[in-house]
Amino acid sequence: MDVYCSNNVLQARRAVEQLRLETELQRIKISAAAEQLVQYCQEHRRADPLLTGINASSNPFKDKKTCVLL
Amino acid sequence: MGEMEQMKKEAETLKTQIEAARKAANDTDMASAASGVAPAPRVQLKTRKTLKGHLAKIYAMHWSTDNRLMVSASQDGKLLIWDSHSGNKVNAVPLKSSWVMTCAYAPSGNLVASGGLDNMCTVYNLKTPVIKTVKELDAHTGYLSCTRFLSDTEILTASGDTTCALWDLETGKQKTVFLNHVGDCMCLSLSPDMNSFVSGACDSLAKLWDIRDGQCKQTFQGHTSDINAISFFPSGNAIITGSDDCACKMYDLRADQEVICYQDAALNSGVTSLALSLSGRLIFAGYDDFNCNIWDSLKGEKVGVLSGHDNRVSCTGVPPDGMCVCTGSWDSFLKIWN
Repeated sequence: MDVYCSNNVLQARRAVEQLRLETELQRIKISAAAEQLVQYCQEHRRADPLLTGINASSNPFKDKKTCVLL
Repeated sequence: MGEMEQMKKEAETLKTQIEAARKAANDTDMASAASGVAPAPRVQLKTRKTLKGHLAKIYAMHWSTDNRLMVSASQDGKLLIWDSHSGNKVNAVPLKSSWVMTCAYAPSGNLVASGGLDNMCTVYNLKTPVIKTVKELDAHTGYLSCTRFLSDTEILTASGDTTCALWDLETGKQKTVFLNHVGDCMCLSLSPDMNSFVSGACDSLAKLWDIRDGQCKQTFQGHTSDINAISFFPSGNAIITGSDDCACKMYDLRADQEVICYQDAALNSGVTSLALSLSGRLIFAGYDDFNCNIWDSLKGEKVGVLSGHDNRVSCTGVPPDGMCVCTGSWDSFLKIWN
């Protein structure tokens, strides 16, 4: 299904205008873009609790074991 | 040549130009670029809390910016506000229409919003002695699939009428209508800098919009079915989408194309929802097959699974501090994992 085609003239006009706009975009190479995404992940990995793990004492969701005084 | 013929011809020419420009930028893919990166550890998260209280399918959930409270929406006709640390319900908001599809928490914590088959976005004030409806945003001609607050005075909506809209909460009117999708809009995600947002729709496209000038800036193709879930990567330079075609994809905004696809031959259920870990390395994607799969965003490999729901996982969310992931399901429960 060609998502840009339609019998509706208004929709077709809008689609062409949008395509004209998108043709003007300056694109960078995936290698450069990917490098930055990798860098972002690496820079922030130590601060990512789901990646590094959370120790029990600082885990607000872990049920604390109750203490009983005998 | 009639106008339609001319436009079709011009459209074809422009599409060919765009494809050629994308191809020229396509010198590698994400997995190859990340080949030197250590693999993400096998992620084994445990259920820390099961939140019971809804009486019917849960359709949406959203974390508060305080990393503790969250709102969930169910077709039992209620919004529930939960304290995720204790597992207690803090508030219940009865809905006029039980056919709710989305909910949102304002960054201030003062307001929540919901909407669905009533075609409206209703905003509630949580801080008045009794929870009050402050606005009913009524202008969409189709269901409300997603909503997100920019602040206490502005909110974005995505609708089955194929448009998204920015509303002024003081007047209750639409400030900007974002018009370009040709299928129901199913999801939206705000950019970290709040100047733009992305939407996913049933036309299988994702679109990037400038909030202030209302323009669609970029269109991302590749999916072969409805895009149900979308999220910005935390750096703001990429987006992740999840679709009924059973795949998730990452599109880089500056390369203007897909850079990696997350899929598995064994997976043949649609993706309903997704959320990213703080660094963006892990993608938590909810599926129709009752599971939430965890993907390494850079390498494209599945690194874990969250199993425990007895029905479709309909929503997922990671709080701003990244300390856990919450899944909500048609089984009426929410689970907190870390």
